Amino acid sequence: MEKRTVDLSLLDGVLEEYAQVKGSLITILQNTQDIYGYLPREAIELISEKTGIATSEIMGVGTFYTQFRFEPVGKYLIMLCQGTACHVNSSELILQTIKDELGIDDGETTEDGLFSLKCVACLGCCSLSPVMMINEDTYGSLTPDKTKKILRELREASK
Amino acid sequence: MINLTINGKAVQAPEGSTILEAARSAGIYIPTLCYDEAVEVYGACGLCVVEAEGIPKLLRSCSAKVSEGMVVNTESERVVRSRKIAMELLMSAHDGDCVAPCQLNCPARTDCQGYVGLIANGEYDAALKLIKNKIALPASIGRVCPHPCEKACRRKNVEEPINIAQIKAFAADMDLKSDSYIPEVQEATGKKVAVIGGGPAGLTAAYYLTIMGHSVTVYDMMDKMGGMLRYGIPQYRLPKEVLDKEIAIIEKTGVKFVNNVKLGVDFTIKSLKEENDAVIVAVGAWKSSSMRTKGEELDGVYGGIDFLRGVIKGNAPEIGDKVAICGGGNTAMDACRTAVRLGAKEVYVVYRRTRNEMPADKLEIDEAEEEGVIYKFLTNPLSFNGENGKVKSVTLQVMELGEPDASGRRRPVPVEGKTEEIAVDSVILAIGQKLVTDDVQELELNERGNIIADTDFFTTNIDGVFAIGDATNRGASIAIEAIGEADRCAKAVDAYLNCQELDTRVPYISKRDESTIDYSDREKQSRLTPKVLAPEVRNKNFDEVSLGFTEEEAQAEAKRCLECGCREYYKCKLLKVAQRYDINPERFKGEMPQKYTRDENAFIERNTSKCILCGLCVRSCREVMDIHAIGLMGRGFKTDVSPAFALPLNETKCNNCGLCVQLCPTGSLTEKFNLEKQVPLDEKYTEEFVEIDGKKSSVLVSRYNGKILRAIPNDEISRNSGLSREELQNLLK
Amino acid sequence: MRIVIGQGSCGIAAGAEKVRKALLNTNINAEEISITGCIGMCYLEPIVDIYDDDNKLTRLVKVSENDADKIAEYIESGNKDAVKDLIVSDEDSEFLSKQTRIALRNCGIINPEQIDAYLSVGGYEALKKSVKDMSPEDVIEVIKTSGLAGRGGAGFPTWFKWNAARQSEGDEKYLICNADEGDPGAFMDRAVIESDPHNLIEGMLIGAYAIGAKHAVVYVRAEYPLAIKRLKNAIKQAEEKGIIGNNIFGTDFSCDFTIKAGAGAFVCGEETALIESLEGHRGMPRLKPPFPAQSGFWRKPSNINNVETFANVSWIINNGGEAFAAMGTEGSKGTKVFAVTGKVKRSGLVEIPMGKTLKDVIFDIGGGMKTDKPFKAVQMGGPSGGCIPAELIDTVIDYKALGATGAIMGSGGMVVMDESTCMVGMAKFFLDFTAKESCGKCIHCRIGTKRMLEMLERITKGEGKEGDIELLEELCYSIKDGALCGLGQTAPNPVLTTIKYFRDEYEAHINEKKCPAGECSDLIEYKINADKCKGCTLCARNCPVNAISGTVKNPHVIDTDKCIKCGKCYSVCKFGAVVKE
Repeated sequence: MEKRTVDLSLLDGVLEEYAQVKGSLITILQNTQDIYGYLPREAIELISEKTGIATSEIMGVGTFYTQFRFEPVGKYLIMLCQGTACHVNSSELILQTIKDELGIDDGETTEDGLFSLKCVACLGCCSLSPVMMINEDTYGSLTPDKTKKILRELREASK
Repeated sequence: MINLTINGKAVQAPEGSTILEAARSAGIYIPTLCYDEAVEVYGACGLCVVEAEGIPKLLRSCSAKVSEGMVVNTESERVVRSRKIAMELLMSAHDGDCVAPCQLNCPARTDCQGYVGLIANGEYDAALKLIKNKIALPASIGRVCPHPCEKACRRKNVEEPINIAQIKAFAADMDLKSDSYIPEVQEATGKKVAVIGGGPAGLTAAYYLTIMGHSVTVYDMMDKMGGMLRYGIPQYRLPKEVLDKEIAIIEKTGVKFVNNVKLGVDFTIKSLKEENDAVIVAVGAWKSSSMRTKGEELDGVYGGIDFLRGVIKGNAPEIGDKVAICGGGNTAMDACRTAVRLGAKEVYVVYRRTRNEMPADKLEIDEAEEEGVIYKFLTNPLSFNGENGKVKSVTLQVMELGEPDASGRRRPVPVEGKTEEIAVDSVILAIGQKLVTDDVQELELNERGNIIADTDFFTTNIDGVFAIGDATNRGASIAIEAIGEADRCAKAVDAYLNCQELDTRVPYISKRDESTIDYSDREKQSRLTPKVLAPEVRNKNFDEVSLGFTEEEAQAEAKRCLECGCREYYKCKLLKVAQRYDINPERFKGEMPQKYTRDENAFIERNTSKCILCGLCVRSCREVMDIHAIGLMGRGFKTDVSPAFALPLNETKCNNCGLCVQLCPTGSLTEKFNLEKQVPLDEKYTEEFVEIDGKKSSVLVSRYNGKILRAIPNDEISRNSGLSREELQNLLK
Repeated sequence: MRIVIGQGSCGIAAGAEKVRKALLNTNINAEEISITGCIGMCYLEPIVDIYDDDNKLTRLVKVSENDADKIAEYIESGNKDAVKDLIVSDEDSEFLSKQTRIALRNCGIINPEQIDAYLSVGGYEALKKSVKDMSPEDVIEVIKTSGLAGRGGAGFPTWFKWNAARQSEGDEKYLICNADEGDPGAFMDRAVIESDPHNLIEGMLIGAYAIGAKHAVVYVRAEYPLAIKRLKNAIKQAEEKGIIGNNIFGTDFSCDFTIKAGAGAFVCGEETALIESLEGHRGMPRLKPPFPAQSGFWRKPSNINNVETFANVSWIINNGGEAFAAMGTEGSKGTKVFAVTGKVKRSGLVEIPMGKTLKDVIFDIGGGMKTDKPFKAVQMGGPSGGCIPAELIDTVIDYKALGATGAIMGSGGMVVMDESTCMVGMAKFFLDFTAKESCGKCIHCRIGTKRMLEMLERITKGEGKEGDIELLEELCYSIKDGALCGLGQTAPNPVLTTIKYFRDEYEAHINEKKCPAGECSDLIEYKINADKCKGCTLCARNCPVNAISGTVKNPHVIDTDKCIKCGKCYSVCKFGAVVKE
């Protein structure tokens, strides 16, 4: 993992609240990711120092759960649902469309840092399948064309 | 106390104990790979499953507690099936070689990596002993063997294979130069064995049976022992002095020799069988094969091995100035180079394919050419033409290469109407040799005219009579093939003499998929070959062409070894469990979970591709030592064991306590040997005690050939001593 | 007049929030506009319910922000013509009217963000009754009478678990709610939390009282941000009212309440893995025994039930165990919620009494197939469940009856498939899921599911060989036998059921290298039916690799060597001229 310079003081509040509360590691990591968008190595080292949990344990937990990332993500995080209903309703086509449109694979970020793609477990909006979430917004009943349109609009909007 | 039944045996166990504990205390084996008393139960491997009456699910015995009246079966069909699949799955994801490919490709299973590694470390005695476990004539074989080991050597994928044969010859020569190693012979069994034929096969069988304590006599028709090594290989390749010395060691070991006696004349197989408890027929193949070409009966047309034998015995046939040798194997090379040395002016080698297809050793082909031999590739003798019964010329059919045949080599086909004629004074046919069938009338032969011998037990149609080597089954082959048979035959004969059953099943071992191996991180380093006499010097005499490796050369060459075979082969718990079940992981072949990566510090080496995720290292580092140097990372199939941020072990808090390597059931975490070049060796750990800060502390020590190879702290005192391994090993000395 | 906008995740995703904002921009009195949770007719979202002053409901469906003015006009004039295109059809209304709602009884009706809304429908009365008038044993007895079984999948009797935890020694005990609804295709729990969080809290507090726990914990999956938000809000409100905390309703019973968010691991639905995760570790299952009732969260006695189970509790206390037991079959009591999705016409949440048939759910309530292709199978129980074929459509919804098919009741995911779904592909889909979600601890699951997936991948690529089906079956049975936890033990079910009912499909893939459903791209070829092709050039223009040639108004041709089988032409053709072979 690459070392980056991040402002560790942003973690003060989180660590003050949870560092000494047993069983809080996942909560601390979730808060940390909310702050930085990912889990920077320095932050993990600081968490280790303050909680007394070894870095090997923290990384063990961090790499176990799919929610956690160790690299910064793009401005728009596309979470494409991999649920059964979406599968039955051809989410594979949507995945291909996103890949073609953005030129990235699952887990990758576009070179301009605008989009990251992550295939995720069922988002629970099965009736709208196929579904994707981009940051906080959910988009349902996707078709390849609709997907392209959404992505292009976001790209335009960020210019 | 709780009373229960395990495998029909009444067992008592304290309340609260697990089925595993109860079974172990009753001496009943249940395999485990993730269990150790030192850490909390984990339940990952699922090998400890047992069946208990009245409970529908299989129980993991490491955690299921005993209860009154429980009836447990640890080896039921369902249990065995479950363990078998578990092991098949586990091995399908275990990317490692138990044994190096060189050893596997040696017909005699010589531990090439072992002796090459020992020689790299300058441990010549140990290397020689290791070689002599499989080869009784290593100085001779090192010189003449076409070395299938080198064909399998993976170093060829980097640049060129290790010069294994010459390294072996070096070690053997070192031994011949000083007090030669004479193996310890076991207590006499009183059993007598007769061996017919004193070639490599017969001598080998005799040597190992003698070591086992049997009384062995070798009968041979020639003046001296050695068979084809003596009478088929020219002096310049294998000096007879070297062979004599090696045979003398065999004699010294206790083998009795009787020469100048011929089967069918002086004795019969039956007569020998009457005087002995067992007879081994190793008579070899001494007749040159015919080409069925017109004119073969002419004067001046000789069989290859007849010609070579004549030269060696001092009655070389008249060959004249122009000689044509037919054939492309090593006998053809021996014949043409001998012809050059006898003074022939024009020596042709007639071969129907091209240089690339020649079965002879490449070095031989090149050296022969340097000595002036002329190759006539893509030609095949149509007829040998004579005058007054004496050969004068050879008509050659010109050939071309067509489609590949069954052997994968492109088949030579005649070019219609295109021939060539060369004038010759003599012709040598070096296309193969056959058993002289008249000698073995008593035994059943196959359609090729060879003795039928069982391929596992080497038995023939006569009880107590065994047969090996060139005279059997598929006929003549290379010496090391016969030596391998002889070694296995010795075991079969020993079992026969002791009325024991011999298990000839080949135990499972793990092999890597060659196509997936990445060599890009290996630095290129050319193969070393021993210096040779200059062509213009050597083509005039029979001095040994190769000067052999110097000590420096041998070590440097040995250091090129890629160390393919696993260092933990001899004590791998995983392999032992795998071999208990009749497994076939091939059927689950698929992606390997981890790349072959190596991480090491001064004492520990980590190899993730062999990891079976039993978690013992991570758990012991955490639960016992509270160090947390490593953790489980990721999840599912791709889970791996690694320090945080994939740091090298050196940058963690690891204090080299060695607990993880001690608990690792396979070769994923190993302690390095106290040797520069790492070698898999059949070492044994024994508990020894040292004093650390005035306290007695236990250490597990492995010694090999008297030398401390590794030492692992075995209690809290030594684990927490902070002593470096060197310091610890110094305390042991 | 009240205007209520359905704002479950589905509704919001469909645009309900945009509708709400648009309505706020009209001249409708903002105070009349409120929200509710998931109404359950997800396929009609966004939904706007308008209650007149007599509380008579007019339901508008598939509303968009552009409809705001029409709605305002209707509110103003009372003239339904303004919104006649939006009013739900009688047929669609049946989707709800044919259901029997207990766990979902308040969903889509009350405002989930206001405790008063819950109190106004009798909320927390059951808790009050339990702690004030009943002993913990009484509560357990009522639950026993009700026959309530765990709704998370396994169907273990709830009273038994509660009783075991109650009997365990120790004064420190935990009551845990498993809201880690990980089955792809299931969203019942999410709907309950988003729509009626107080009902969950009430059920849990009753459970805590019954087992003697002072701590209640909800483990919610992180993918449900709205559920977490509404639950947090509900906890805060309940704390403020003294419903959570010390001396609840003036009794000795005290209980605190915490939420822990999962972080994306399906295996954490397994109770021991869930506990590991709660403690902040990798979610790897523990060995059982000891069971959580003896040694669970922080090694203390713990009881774990899922959301739907708790959602039934207050109703049972209020109405009596007998009333609940009166519904259902001999072995399965009460109702069950299903998330019906896939190729079904009406998808959404369906709660029906046990004992109804699959046909009732899929055809009667769900309205049958949404395409013209016939019904093929229904997948129940997600990755732990199986596919039930069309011929078993009359199977009764009952733990035992469903189990007998090889599938399971499961947590309630019901994915309907038509003839265009490849069953080998379906098995592959689930194995891909389980292999990704395997925690990696035990050999059978870690390597076994991966190897099964690889075999299925080979088969769907046309690289299957004779003996593969038998090998898959052998592996399935040994994984069921050898895996450490429920995830692994049930992982083979999708494969076993598809082999059992659709063996011919497997054989077609292996022997004939054909995918009968036309889904496996490696086994199909796209062709253009010249009779149907009008030469509109749409396919050629959309082909990413220029594999289609032809001139305007003349039939086009696909160059199969160039074709990458992306299916683009197939999906764009308006004349059905592109065919899969």
